[in-house]
Amino acid sequence: MSANAELIADLEAVVGGAYVLHEPEDLIVYEYDGSVDRGLPAAVVLPASTEEVSGVVRAARRHGAPIVPRGAGTGLSGGAIAHQGGVVAALTRMTRILEVDVDNRFAVVEPGVVNLDLTHAVERHGLYYAPDPSSQKACTIGGNVAENSGGPHCLAYGVTTNHVLGLEVVTADGSVHWLGGRTRESPGYDLRGVVVGSEGTLAIVTKAAVRLLRRPEAVKTLLAVFRELDDASAAVSGVIAAGIVPAAIEMMDELCIRAAEQSVHAGYPTGAGAVLLVEVDGLREAVDEEVDEVERVCLRYRPMEIRTATDPEERERLWAGRKGVLGALGRLAPNYYLVDGTIPRTRLVEVLSRIREISAETGLPIANLLHAGDGNLHPSVLFDERNPDEARTALEIGGRILELCLEVGGVLSGEHGIGLEKQEYFSLMFDDDDMESMAQLKPAFDTGDAFNPGKIFPAGASCVDVFQSAAVARAGAGAWV
Amino acid sequence: MTTIPGTAVRSVSEAVGAERLSGGEGRVIDGIRPAAAVAPESTEEVSRVLGAARRDGLGVAPRGGGTRMGLGGPPERYDLSLDTSRLDRVAAHNPADLTATVEAGITLDALRESLEEHGQFLAMDAPRPDLATVGGTLAAGAIGPLKWQFGSPRDLVVGMKVVQANGRVTKSGGRVVKNVSGYDMARLHVGGLGTLGVIVEVSFKLTPLPRRQATLLAAFDDSGPALSAGLAISNGWAAPLAMVTFDAEANRRGGFTGSARGYFLAVRLGGRPRTLDRQIDDCRRSCDRHGAVCLEVVDAAGTPVLWSKIRDLGWMDDDAPEYTARASVPSSRLPGLIAGLETGGPAPAVVAEPGYGSALVHWFADGERDAVSGAVADARVGAVHAGGSLVLERRPMGSRKIDPWGEVGGSLSIMRRMKERYDPARILNPGRFVGGI
Ligand SMILES: Cc1cc2nc3c(=O)[nH]c(=O)nc-3n(C[C@H](O)[C@H](O)[C@H](O)COP(=O)(O)OP(=O)(O)OC[C@H]3O[C@@H](n4cnc5c(N)ncnc54)[C@H](O)[C@@H]3O)c2cc1C
Repeated sequence: MSANAELIADLEAVVGGAYVLHEPEDLIVYEYDGSVDRGLPAAVVLPASTEEVSGVVRAARRHGAPIVPRGAGTGLSGGAIAHQGGVVAALTRMTRILEVDVDNRFAVVEPGVVNLDLTHAVERHGLYYAPDPSSQKACTIGGNVAENSGGPHCLAYGVTTNHVLGLEVVTADGSVHWLGGRTRESPGYDLRGVVVGSEGTLAIVTKAAVRLLRRPEAVKTLLAVFRELDDASAAVSGVIAAGIVPAAIEMMDELCIRAAEQSVHAGYPTGAGAVLLVEVDGLREAVDEEVDEVERVCLRYRPMEIRTATDPEERERLWAGRKGVLGALGRLAPNYYLVDGTIPRTRLVEVLSRIREISAETGLPIANLLHAGDGNLHPSVLFDERNPDEARTALEIGGRILELCLEVGGVLSGEHGIGLEKQEYFSLMFDDDDMESMAQLKPAFDTGDAFNPGKIFPAGASCVDVFQSAAVARAGAGAWV
Repeated sequence: MTTIPGTAVRSVSEAVGAERLSGGEGRVIDGIRPAAAVAPESTEEVSRVLGAARRDGLGVAPRGGGTRMGLGGPPERYDLSLDTSRLDRVAAHNPADLTATVEAGITLDALRESLEEHGQFLAMDAPRPDLATVGGTLAAGAIGPLKWQFGSPRDLVVGMKVVQANGRVTKSGGRVVKNVSGYDMARLHVGGLGTLGVIVEVSFKLTPLPRRQATLLAAFDDSGPALSAGLAISNGWAAPLAMVTFDAEANRRGGFTGSARGYFLAVRLGGRPRTLDRQIDDCRRSCDRHGAVCLEVVDAAGTPVLWSKIRDLGWMDDDAPEYTARASVPSSRLPGLIAGLETGGPAPAVVAEPGYGSALVHWFADGERDAVSGAVADARVGAVHAGGSLVLERRPMGSRKIDPWGEVGGSLSIMRRMKERYDPARILNPGRFVGGI
């Protein structure tokens, strides 16, 4: 038997023949995630339990094969790509919700549970799972934990790490550990906290105990349309500076508005240069008082129009343009490269205007959609991959935008992670000592670099190909970022 | 300086100059007095001190305000007290971005004053904020009642600078509120008791101060209804900033309210005027339904006073308990835990947080030492049985009867490897953390 055939036989012994894929036509589905990279694994294995994950890890390691954990493959930084071959461990069969504890407001779930399915499962108790990445109809809790994912409502409620109480993980020797627990505090180092956001490089998550929140009593959405992008940006900074922390503040620029108008007919006035969506939730009285105040701040920046809504359907209509924009960008160009970075919220006006300059200088349009409330930018460079010059320029623009984020005191990624996509920029943010200290976590977890090797840390040039649109397809109809 | 003998003094004075050194008196941990204390004035000096300590194999205990030196086991070696109190600047405060970067040695009070001018605060409280520093509070993971609303301070930290045991200065995270760039190293240091590195600078997200505040104070006949009312409130629409129950013993020691009898629930509320009134109404109704015998609203001026007393109970020098323990259990198990404390042996003073699932338990010995340590051991069993844990925040000097941390389970092997990687020479607080780390 060839080495590969032996590996496959060993994996089959753990999960059964039906759950090990190794024919090229099967593997190709797992070649991409949402990022610009790709890589073909030697095998894809679909374990159904913690024990099977542990068996898979042991088998792969016996053969020296790297292991790449994978959820739904909607990641945008290449985290689920097997760029060095090896075994992809897809957790998509582990979809059980094992426990819902209504009194203590937590749930224990397997990693393959789709984010929105968890909320659906606990809705009848008046509860929900707060982190709401826009890909929530498709992405998995395991992937969310690995990327420490955020979402529009993370402004008030925090990102994934703020909602994970404990994790069951399989480490690289195949052993199973609980990190953290089911209570709010547990003694010892916060290993749970370092596994969250570790992009599948330290351990495979096989169970997660996550907090559930109560549905708020009231929700109100305010949509403000501005002629000038600068005014909208200044309004965002104004809201934060006024000491208001709404549940969400989202923003779109003129290009996004145009795309959204064409596809979902959101009904924005002509000449609109930017749209702000502010959602406030909580106690009825608090919602009224805060929305009034948000409106007062917006009025200082010459809005063309302000609309508010409380009933769910009307609110959904206000959100429609924002949620439809990603799909709509396809109408403006065959491809887009969506860049993720965070800046201080006081620098929005300046940074967006410099992005405009970059666009003018390079000739490629850049559409800006933002989780503006926490300074998380998603400039999307529009281009045509059939033109190699444009593709190269798009990636260069991505780099320039990241450098710009760092220059104003921001960071390389707000919610999509470093993965393969940004590893070459990592050393712009961290020096050798910083990176060395982070890298020590791998031996501390004794990974032997078995999980997701060659990611996050700089490793020379990564391959260049732009396939984010494919991930959007995977995230399902109506996906938005 | 010549009066202090030994390697520690020589080695550290070569590194940062003798003027940074003082004697080890007043720096005793568990009966052990270090050869010297050093107070570096910069990150660079901390780095040099640790470099020297590592070279000469000195045991180092980082120290902020010294309020939590009783947390943890007895030190394996203790030669040098590393005092961070001179690292006390606010390095940056960006009010319009609701973020700040501060040095680790700043006291919580000093930071509060500086932020308050801008209508903001750091949503992390701890006993004795006049002494407690940001770095020490994070390292001890020892937080006060505000955690009810704001959670662990880990969730407020957006970036951190740490001097590692090898003297290298490393940073992680950033200064913005949303970030997934590299491993979240700060998580290891919050609650890590300075065993993996010395925290020197921290970036936080801040919170706007509530426009108005008030506290609803309710008295009940005993703990059951008080805790149930608390749970009902946490399941209701109001969003307390903090909520605790306390017993008559805690009340008597801390002077929280005038009444001598009863079991109390205190709910700290904040918001704009209409929001605040509505919350008070909601909470009042919950208390009435659970048989409150007396209700009182403490106004905006009285609220901070009451809550500093609650926060500081057990941490005033003139009335220190023999043992203090922090129990953390699933919140539905809290009433059972507390009932157990009331019946088993010498009665402690208990401040508990319904809806959050934690309790701070103080045993004042008053001469019954053995009975007390038995009660503490029973409380540990009770907390573990309820699916949680119990950590000793304070124990009698030299006492080794009860492991201060308790069992941490199978992940201890990973924690030990953490220590091996980040502090192989075991110079930072050796022996004091979980499992003797
Ligand atoms: C249309 C669209 C919108 C998006 N919107 C958002 C958004 O609003 N906010 C946001 O934060 N992200 C967003 N994303 C990015 C992406 O959806 C998230 O990163 C998501 O958490 C990835 O989940 P996944 O299940 O697809 O993980 P994958 O892409 O399969 O994997 C992501 C990473 O997680 C690791 N991993 C997966 N499962 C495990 C496990 N069980 N144990 C250990 N490691 C594991 C993988 O190795 C990889 O490194 C969006 C993506 C798309 C395509």
